Amino acid sequence: MKFDTIIIGGGLAGLTAGISLQQAGIHTAIISSGQNALHFFSGIFESSETCRERLIRLFSTAGIRVQDIPGYHLMPMGTFREAGLSLEDVASFPEKKIAERALIVNFMGFHDFFSSFLAEGLEKEGTACRIRFIRLPEMEHLRQSPSEMRSVNIARVLDECWEKAVADIRVLHKDEDLIILPQVFGLKDASVPEKIASALPAHVVFVGTMPPSVPGIRTQMKLKRRFEVLGGTFLMGDEVTSAALHEGVVSSVTTRNLDSVRLFADHFILASGGYFSKGLVATPNRIVEPLFGLDVFQASDRNQWYRTDFFQDQPYMDFGVRTDTSLHALKDGVPMKNLYAIGSVLGNTRKDDFGTAAGLAVSTAFAVADAIKESQKEQLP
Amino acid sequence: MKLQEYTASAHNFEECMKCTICTAYCPVVPVNPRYPGPKQAGPDAERLRLKDPYFFNQALKYCLNCKRCEVVCPSGVKVADIIQSARIRYDHTPPKLRDRILANTDFMGKLARPFAPIVNGVTGMNLTKTVLDATLAIDRHRTFPKYSGQSFEGWLKRHAKEQAKYERQVAYFHGCYVNYNNPQLGKDLVKVMNAIGIGVQLLEKEKCCGVALISNGMSKQATKNAEHNIAALRKAVDKGLTVLATSSTCTFTMRDEYPELLKVDNSAVRDSLLLATRYIYQLLASGKATLDFRPDYHARIAYHTPCHLEKLGWGIFSYELLKMIPGVEFTLLDSSCCGIAGTYGFKKENYEASQAIGKPLFDQIRSVNPDVVACDCETCKWQIEMSTGYPVKHPISILAEAIR
Amino acid sequence: MKNEYDVIIVGGGITGAGTARDCAMRGLRVLLIERHDIAAGATGRNHGLLHSGARYAVTDPESASECIRENQILRNIASHCVDQTEGLFITLPEDDLNYQATFVDSCRNAGIQAEIIDPKEALRLEPSVNPDIIGAVKVPDGSVDPFRLCAANMLDAKLHGAQVLLYTEVTEFIKDGNTIKGVRTYNTQTKRKGAYYASVVVNASGIWGHHVAEMAGVHIGMFPAKGSLLIFAHRVNDVVINRCRKPANADILVPGDTVCIIGTTSDRIPFEACDDLHVEPDEVNLLIEEGAKLAPSLANTRILRAFAGVRPLVSADNDPTGRSISRGTVCLDHEVRDGVGGFVSITGGKLTTYRLMAEEATDLVCRKLHIDKTCETAVTPLPGSEGKSFREVAERIWENPTTIQKATVGRLGSGAARMKDNSVLEQSLICECEEVSVGEINSAIERLDVSSLTDLRRRTRVGMGTCQGELCACRAAGLLVKAHDCVEREREDIRDFMTERWKGMYPIGWGDALREAEYTQWVYKHVLGV
Repeated sequence: MKFDTIIIGGGLAGLTAGISLQQAGIHTAIISSGQNALHFFSGIFESSETCRERLIRLFSTAGIRVQDIPGYHLMPMGTFREAGLSLEDVASFPEKKIAERALIVNFMGFHDFFSSFLAEGLEKEGTACRIRFIRLPEMEHLRQSPSEMRSVNIARVLDECWEKAVADIRVLHKDEDLIILPQVFGLKDASVPEKIASALPAHVVFVGTMPPSVPGIRTQMKLKRRFEVLGGTFLMGDEVTSAALHEGVVSSVTTRNLDSVRLFADHFILASGGYFSKGLVATPNRIVEPLFGLDVFQASDRNQWYRTDFFQDQPYMDFGVRTDTSLHALKDGVPMKNLYAIGSVLGNTRKDDFGTAAGLAVSTAFAVADAIKESQKEQLP
Repeated sequence: MKLQEYTASAHNFEECMKCTICTAYCPVVPVNPRYPGPKQAGPDAERLRLKDPYFFNQALKYCLNCKRCEVVCPSGVKVADIIQSARIRYDHTPPKLRDRILANTDFMGKLARPFAPIVNGVTGMNLTKTVLDATLAIDRHRTFPKYSGQSFEGWLKRHAKEQAKYERQVAYFHGCYVNYNNPQLGKDLVKVMNAIGIGVQLLEKEKCCGVALISNGMSKQATKNAEHNIAALRKAVDKGLTVLATSSTCTFTMRDEYPELLKVDNSAVRDSLLLATRYIYQLLASGKATLDFRPDYHARIAYHTPCHLEKLGWGIFSYELLKMIPGVEFTLLDSSCCGIAGTYGFKKENYEASQAIGKPLFDQIRSVNPDVVACDCETCKWQIEMSTGYPVKHPISILAEAIR
Repeated sequence: MKNEYDVIIVGGGITGAGTARDCAMRGLRVLLIERHDIAAGATGRNHGLLHSGARYAVTDPESASECIRENQILRNIASHCVDQTEGLFITLPEDDLNYQATFVDSCRNAGIQAEIIDPKEALRLEPSVNPDIIGAVKVPDGSVDPFRLCAANMLDAKLHGAQVLLYTEVTEFIKDGNTIKGVRTYNTQTKRKGAYYASVVVNASGIWGHHVAEMAGVHIGMFPAKGSLLIFAHRVNDVVINRCRKPANADILVPGDTVCIIGTTSDRIPFEACDDLHVEPDEVNLLIEEGAKLAPSLANTRILRAFAGVRPLVSADNDPTGRSISRGTVCLDHEVRDGVGGFVSITGGKLTTYRLMAEEATDLVCRKLHIDKTCETAVTPLPGSEGKSFREVAERIWENPTTIQKATVGRLGSGAARMKDNSVLEQSLICECEEVSVGEINSAIERLDVSSLTDLRRRTRVGMGTCQGELCACRAAGLLVKAHDCVEREREDIRDFMTERWKGMYPIGWGDALREAEYTQWVYKHVLGV
C-alpha cells in the first residue's frame, strides 16, 4: 500500500499533523497502537505562542472549540494554573476569587471528582462553597459494578438524561452565582455542556476528574473523524513492527496486522509518544527509540534519571529523540532524510523552541506538516 | 545487566498501566452491570487468580470477546485473551443444553439442511419462537438463520471439474454459515475468483472453526476442531495453495484464537490463511488482476467493520475494495459492536443488552440511510437486518453483483 | 494516678504489638507507644517469610527449633495472616549438592520435616523454579503478612483493654534513682507533650531500641544491618524458594498476597541511616541476578518496587555482614544486667518468633509485677483468624461472594463479617488493583487508628498494587477528608504518600515501572493539579 505520508502514532501530535496534511491533499495514513494520551488530556495546551491561531482554526474545523482567556485555570484538586490556550471545557477565570458563592455538585458515590479539595481551594481565595450530591435512578445500574462509576460511563448515561441532572441541580441551587460540575457531560454531543449552562440560573463551569477525560476522549473522536472525512486512513490497534531504511531514507514499514502488505510512503512522521505509549523504551541501562533505533538524548547514569521528590520535574521526562532544527530525526548523528519526530517522543528536548506537552505536540506537528507540504510542492513539475 | 531488558514476555497482563481506556470502549460495561469490565475482569483479576483460583468470577462469561479492549489498549495488553483464557482455565461448569445447541453450528446445520423447508418454516413460526424462548431461553425476537436445501459443499463438489480447469487455484474455507445457510455467498466468491482467472477448491474436509464452542465454554471440543482444521489447512498449504475465507470471525479464530486461547500451533498455515477481500484487493491494487465492472452499477454503501475484523486490522481491504467499484457512494460507519457477538445475542438473558450495545450503530445506519450495508460477518448481518431493516451484504456478494 | 499503667511498651512493631497483646491477655493495664505507625520499621520491611526454621537448621539449631514451633502455632492462631505455601530448598548446578545431606539432617534434628524430592517433582510443585536444579528439599515454610499480623495483635491487645498511642515519641524516661517510673512523650501530630507512668517499661523498638536504651542509661550494643528487597508485580511462585546452601544474598523468594518478594542483601550501616534507607543500583542488580537463578522468569517480570529494612541485631562480635550472629531472641532484664529497675528490652528474633519473644518479655514483666498468669497467646486465635480457610470464611459470610468480598476476607479473615451488610455505595471500589472497597476503608479508619494514606495502606493494601496509588490515592484521600474533616492535611498527605510510593519505584525505574511513573506523574501534576 502506498501513501504520501505515514504517521506512526494517533495521539494529539499525529492527528494534528494528519489533518494538516490531508487538508493540503497529501494522502496520509496514521498507524496507532491503541488509544492515546488524549484520554487523559487536561484540556490545557502549554505555551506554543506561535501557532495559536492556527491551532484554533484546525480544531474548529473538527468541531472543537479552543479558548484563549487570560487569567487562571481551575484544576480538579482546587488549585489554579496560569491560563493559556485550552479546550473550551476547561474552567477559566480572570482572577482566583472566582465567585462570591459557589455550589459544587457531584454524583453520589463518584470518587473521581474531588469536591472537598475544590471547595477548600476556592475558599482559600475567597469563594464560599457548598457541596451537594445528586443521585439519578438512571445511574444506579452503573454502581452495581463496583469499579465502573467512572467519568466516561457516567457521561454516557448523562448524554441521554442530562435534563434530569439539571432539574435536580435547580432544586439544590439557592443564591450561588457559580455552579461547578464534574466534566462528565457531552461525551458524544459536545453541545450538552452549553445546553446545561443555559438551563441553569447561574454561571456554570465544568472541572476535570480522574482519567479518562471526557473532553479528551471527545477531542480524540472528533479529530479522528475529521482526519477520516478528509480522506485519511486511520489504522487503529496496529503497530509498526519493522522499517526498511537505506542511506538515511525510510522506504516502507511493516505492521503487525498487515504483515506482508508493506506500507510505502514518501515521508514518515514518528509521533509515537513517550514512555507510556512506548515511543521511548527504558531498559535498566539506557533509553531507546525502539522502531528506528534513533538517537536519544539521555543521561547515561540511571541515578541521574530521577529526582527523589515525586512532584519535581523529572530528568527522564526531558529525554527523547534527537532531531535537527527542522525536526528530522537523527540516527547515528545523521539526520534521516524523510523521517521526522514530533510530540512527546522528543521529550522536552525541544521545549525551548516548541513548548511542552500538548503545546509541543501541536507546534511540532504543524512545523513538520509544513515541511512536508513544501517538499511535495517542490516535487511537482 | 542483561536481565530486565524486556518485561513484555510471558506476563502480558503486567503491561497494564491502569489507564482505564479499555473500560471506555467496552460495549458491555454500559449495558450489563453484572460484568466487571475489561480491566477488572482481565489484568486486575489475573493477579488475584494467580494468588488463588477461587478469585475466578463466573461473570466473565458476559465478555463478548469482541476484542475492542485490545484494539484500544495503548499498552498492548491482550485483555480479552486474558479473560477468555481464565474462563478456559478455571470455569468447569458444564454448558447448558441451549448453549450446546447454539455452539454446535455445523452439527445443527447437518441435521437441519435436508429438512430445510420444514425447519425454516418451523423455526420461523411464532409458536416455535415462544417455545424456544420458554424452554431453551433462546430469545423470541430472534429468527434462526434459514437453512439452505443444498449445502455449498455439495454445490462446489458438483462444479469441481470446471474449477479445476483454472491454472491458478485457491482453497476456500467456507465455514458453517456459507455451507448451510448462505451458499450464495460461496457462489459469489467463486464467480469473482473465476473472473480474475482463479479456480476455487474445497479443503479436504473442514470443521466448524469453533468460535461458538469457545464462547460457550466448550474449549475441548473447540481444540479438537482446531487441530482438525489446522491439519486440513496444512494439506492445502503444502500443495502451495492460499486458503481464503469469507467470514471475518472464522479467519480471526483460526489465525489468532487457535494459538492464543486453544494453544494450537498454526504457524505453518497462518500466513496462508487470508480473507478473500484482502487477497482480491491485493491482486487488483497491484494490477495483477482486473475486474470488468458493470457500467450501470450504482449503490450507496455503508460499511460496518465487525469486531473481529477490527481486531485483525483488515477492514481496510474490504472497504478499499468496495471503493474500487465504480458507481459506489461509500460511507465508513464508526467502528462499534453491533451487539450480537455470535451466539451471545441469541440468548434470552442477553437480548436487551445485545440491542442496547448495537444502538449507536443502528442509529448511525438510519441516519446515513444507505441502499445496502456491507459487512464481512454473518452474525452482524442477522443483527443489523433484524434491528434496522436495512439489507446487509458481504463485500464479495456486492462485488459479484457489480461485475459482468 | 492519671496515666498510670502496669506496663508501657515502647514500639509498635510486631514484637511490641505481640507483647501488648500478651500482657493485656494476662490482665495487665497496658499502654503501647509508637513514634510512627504500626509495622513501620523492620516488621513491615522483610520477606514476610513464615520460617520453617530450615534456613537456620545448620548454622543456628536453637533458632531453627524455635521457628518450627512458632510456625505451627501461627498457622493456627493467625490463619488469616498465614499462607500455607510450603517451601523448597533448591540446589543449583553451581551449588554443592553434598550440603543437602547436612541440611536435611540438621532440619530433622531441629524437628523440621525436610523431605528430599526429585527435581522434576519440585518443578511440578512449583513450575516457576529454575529447571536446571540438581536437588530439592521440601520444608514447611509459609508466608505471613506482617502488616496484617501486627494489626491483628494490636487490635486484640485493644480488645483486651490495652491503650495505643501512635505517632508518639518517647523523649525522656522518668526515673526515681535507678528505677524507671515512666516516660515523657511528644505527639508529632498534635504537637502535645505527655507523661505516662508504669511499673515496667518494655523496650521493643527494634533497631531504634539502641537509642531508647541509651535514653534510659543502658547500653545494649546493637548494630544495624540493612537488607534490601524487591517486590515483583504478581505471584510468580506459590511455594517459597530458598537456596540450599549457607545463607547468602538474595536467596529467598517468597510469595505474599498478590506479589512475591526477593531478598535480601546485607550491609552494615550507621545508625543515622536507619531512618532514611535507600536502595542502591548495585543492590537492585544483585537481587535481580540472584533472583533469576531461583526463578528464571523474574528476569522478565515487572518489578513493582524496591525497599529496605534494618535487622535489629545484637552484636556479639565484629562480623561486618551480621550473618554469623544468632537470630535468637535477646530478652534483657536491665535491673539484673545494668542495675536499672523497671526496664526490660526485648529484641533480636524474627517475625516468625515474635509470639515467643512476646511471651518471654511478658513472663519477665509478670515476674517483676509478681503476677502469676499463664500465657494463652499460643492457643487463642487472633481476631479474624477464627475461620479455617479463606474460602470457607467467605462463604460463611456471603452465599455467593463477589471478587471484592473475597479480597476483603483475604485481608480481614472472619473480620470481614463486618462488611456483610455493606450498601451498594460502600461496595464501590477505591483501590482497583487490590480490590479495596469504600466500606473496608471506612471500617479501617474507624477501628484501626488510621491517620494517613500510608497508615491506610498498611491496614488495607490500598496503593500496594500494580498502579502504586495512581488510581486510589486521591479517592482514598477523599474518604480521609470526610473522616478527619481536614483538607489541608490531606493535600500534604497525598504528596507524602506519592513521594513514598515513588521512593520505592525509582530504584527500579525502567520498563513498565517507568511507564507507570510517567503516567502517574502526568496525571497528578498536569491533570489534577496536586
